[in-house]
Amino acid sequence: MNEQTATNLTEVERARRVALAVQDVSKTYGATRALDRVSLEVTGGAIHGLMGGNGSGKSTLIKMLAGVVTPDEGRLSLKGGWIDARSHTPARAKASGLHFVHQQNSTFPDLTVAENLALGRGFESTAVKSINWHAQKARARQVLDRFEIDVAADAHLVRLSPAAQMMVAIARALQDQDDTDERGVLVLDEPTASLPKHEVDVLLTALRRYAADGQTIIYVSHRLEEVTAITNEVTVLRNGCVASRLTGAEISHDTLVAGITGSSPSSKQGGSRRSNDVIASRVHLSQSAGFRETALTLSRRTPNGTTDERLLVRAGEIVGIAGLLGSGRSRMLKQIFGATPRDDFDVTVRSGTVPPSDMRTAMKRGLAFVPENRLREAALPELSIAENLSITSLSEHSRVGWIRPARERKAAQRLINEFGVRAPSTRAPLTALSGGNQQKVILARWLQRRPDVLLLDEPTQGVDIGARNEIHELVRAAASAGTAVLVVSSDFGELAALAQRAVVVSGGEVVDSVDGPLTEDILNDIVYAQEKAL
Amino acid sequence: MSHTQDTANVPAASPDAEALPAPVGTAEAEQKRKAARARTGKARFVDFLESYALLVILVVIALFFCFWPETSSTFPTLANMRILLASQAVIGVISLGTLLPLLCQEFDLSVGNIAGLSAIMVAASVSSNGSVLGAVAVVLAIGVVVGGANALVVTRLHVNGVITTLGMSTILGGIILQRTGGLAPASDIPQSLTNFGTGLVAGVPVIFITLLVIAAITYFVLNHTSLGRQIYAVGSNMDAAKLVGLRTDGLRAATFVVGALLCALGGLLYVSRAGGASPNVGATFLLPAFAAAFLSAASVRPGRFNVWGTIIAVYFLAVLNNGLSLAGVDPYVNDYVNGGALIAGVALATVLYRRRTT
Repeated sequence: MNEQTATNLTEVERARRVALAVQDVSKTYGATRALDRVSLEVTGGAIHGLMGGNGSGKSTLIKMLAGVVTPDEGRLSLKGGWIDARSHTPARAKASGLHFVHQQNSTFPDLTVAENLALGRGFESTAVKSINWHAQKARARQVLDRFEIDVAADAHLVRLSPAAQMMVAIARALQDQDDTDERGVLVLDEPTASLPKHEVDVLLTALRRYAADGQTIIYVSHRLEEVTAITNEVTVLRNGCVASRLTGAEISHDTLVAGITGSSPSSKQGGSRRSNDVIASRVHLSQSAGFRETALTLSRRTPNGTTDERLLVRAGEIVGIAGLLGSGRSRMLKQIFGATPRDDFDVTVRSGTVPPSDMRTAMKRGLAFVPENRLREAALPELSIAENLSITSLSEHSRVGWIRPARERKAAQRLINEFGVRAPSTRAPLTALSGGNQQKVILARWLQRRPDVLLLDEPTQGVDIGARNEIHELVRAAASAGTAVLVVSSDFGELAALAQRAVVVSGGEVVDSVDGPLTEDILNDIVYAQEKAL
Repeated sequence: MSHTQDTANVPAASPDAEALPAPVGTAEAEQKRKAARARTGKARFVDFLESYALLVILVVIALFFCFWPETSSTFPTLANMRILLASQAVIGVISLGTLLPLLCQEFDLSVGNIAGLSAIMVAASVSSNGSVLGAVAVVLAIGVVVGGANALVVTRLHVNGVITTLGMSTILGGIILQRTGGLAPASDIPQSLTNFGTGLVAGVPVIFITLLVIAAITYFVLNHTSLGRQIYAVGSNMDAAKLVGLRTDGLRAATFVVGALLCALGGLLYVSRAGGASPNVGATFLLPAFAAAFLSAASVRPGRFNVWGTIIAVYFLAVLNNGLSLAGVDPYVNDYVNGGALIAGVALATVLYRRRTT
């Protein structure tokens, strides 16, 4: 340590320089301007927070830095001089010391810590080119010491705590940085999204230590508390533009929220659309103001015998579930339907209680569930459109187990017309359709059952804007026909457009509720406020 | 299953008219419609070619052997046709037994030895008491016990199906060896059974008709019943099938059990045709059965494993082998042809399927 103190001064001075700068970068996707002349300056040795709501351009900016997305214009400065941002590539990002650690898929859970570290750079080999496990382990221990990670080199990664796994991923990204050389920039993309609370602190402490050591870190997160706790400077994006730049004491919950949501609700782009939505939802509200019966109740039995109602949805009502990534919003829908074991709440619908893990009974009780991941959890890709539609209603189309094809096809044709599915024929395989039309098929599959309760998870993910509006219309129509709709969306604009009121979920619990009319800004405000309160 | 939405689907006052094209009077529209019909006619022809490519190739090969000087005197004879049809019936039934789990994306590698064990046990059973009914009981018992064991291990213990059935196949091989000592048992098969295996109805082998009947039943269950649809849904996307309320484990288990029953029945048919059983017969069933089941995706319904595709594939491979043997080629040529046909056929199925869906 003593040898280093002499060089530390100049080291600090050097580190004060700008480690990474981006100037006037723009990127347009079709009609959407994802980034609009965005500039960013990251001070060497600082922890720089990058924040923004959904659709703010945050992830486009990160992808641009990684060289995965080519911007339309702009300049970039990494080590030394400026380059045209359009010529940036993944290889160049790596060469100039940008290290990315993503929340998922960056490590191999079944391999040991030493193997994970080696996969980032190559194995220590013996003279005959076989892996020298002894040297490998020794080197891993050295890296673990340097990053002060208290785990065994031959431990399997899956056995470590989530925070330790994340630290191994960081160590792997940074292991080749030479201490004396100019340091690169570590980009952490939502590193705490899947970490429990106490683990977050462990990771943040480690990050502070690395920063104090001179490591520059870009910290991408939606968690205000963490950003206020560890960053020295913050850039907030909104609608593809830089909404605010904050340093030091300016960084607070309020200034961040102001940046994320925009201080005045009537921003120039969304203003007119939003007011329309507000009117629309008011109309809906007045329509459903008649004393509609309760369609869905989530309740919890308290220790002293009373029941505590957490969520209540009336027939004909569309209720949004708002929450941040990792808040358990999707899990809650699956738990209601019985696809995932339930924690400790009861679900009651009109026709009785819904058992904890019995989807068939849930369906009989009038529940319907459109999952988030269409390809993995909803599509029957090789089956025809008619077969995809009838799968939830086989008993309707068959007599003592025998399917009646004419009836099935007729029903499919009727649904295709009713739901505006653009399909060559009812016999075409589902994969012949576009994403939006596939989603309409999935929706029709459930709505043909006239469910009492429709659970919708990200109903328009990966769907173009036209189909998105059509799907919204279909959901509204189902609601006005008496179905209670509970919808999860990471796009608060979608919730505002669709739902009459919303509940806020955090840590798998309903923690707040917002009565309509909803706007994207109100939802952002409340969700982030909740984040602070926790 | 009566629930609140029962009435939703009954098209009592169904607006079917929407589905039909609106009546158009003008000559121009008439012409357009004709053009459209011609187009669909052409498309239908392409569809037909795609769907029945394997059948067409089968016919072409058969015609070739009819006229090829090497085989023109031996291949197109009534006797050879009967042998061809009858000899493949056993493989055909076992192929259907392989097809069922395959529809759920499960491999049953024990199909060959289930049939082999069944053949041994059936031969022993009928030799000792002469009862065909007893033989049927043996078939049922082997199918239910072995298929049930496979199903339980796969669905309850969550062991990979390939591993489970490979292990099961090895165990069954052991049982066969233990019971026979590696030698074909002397057997006294009653006339009633061998008559069934070698008999003709209207000049067609009974055993081939049996195959067609079994195939027809399997086809109807798979394609015209709710159960069959659910099996296809599980094979298409197990997670999605679960989330629409299907009993995915039960369905997979059912395909293992019914598949094993068909294989055991294959063993019985073998005894009836061969008039005995040999301990090594199981191993010779496995690969042809898998080849046929896989090749089924190349015909009738491209991209989907299916019953009639399986039957066509069985006879496609059989005609190929039969013709080559009659021509007197060295046996290794058959191996080349079988392997090549399997790979080419499955590649064809994949290409056709991708072309259709993109």
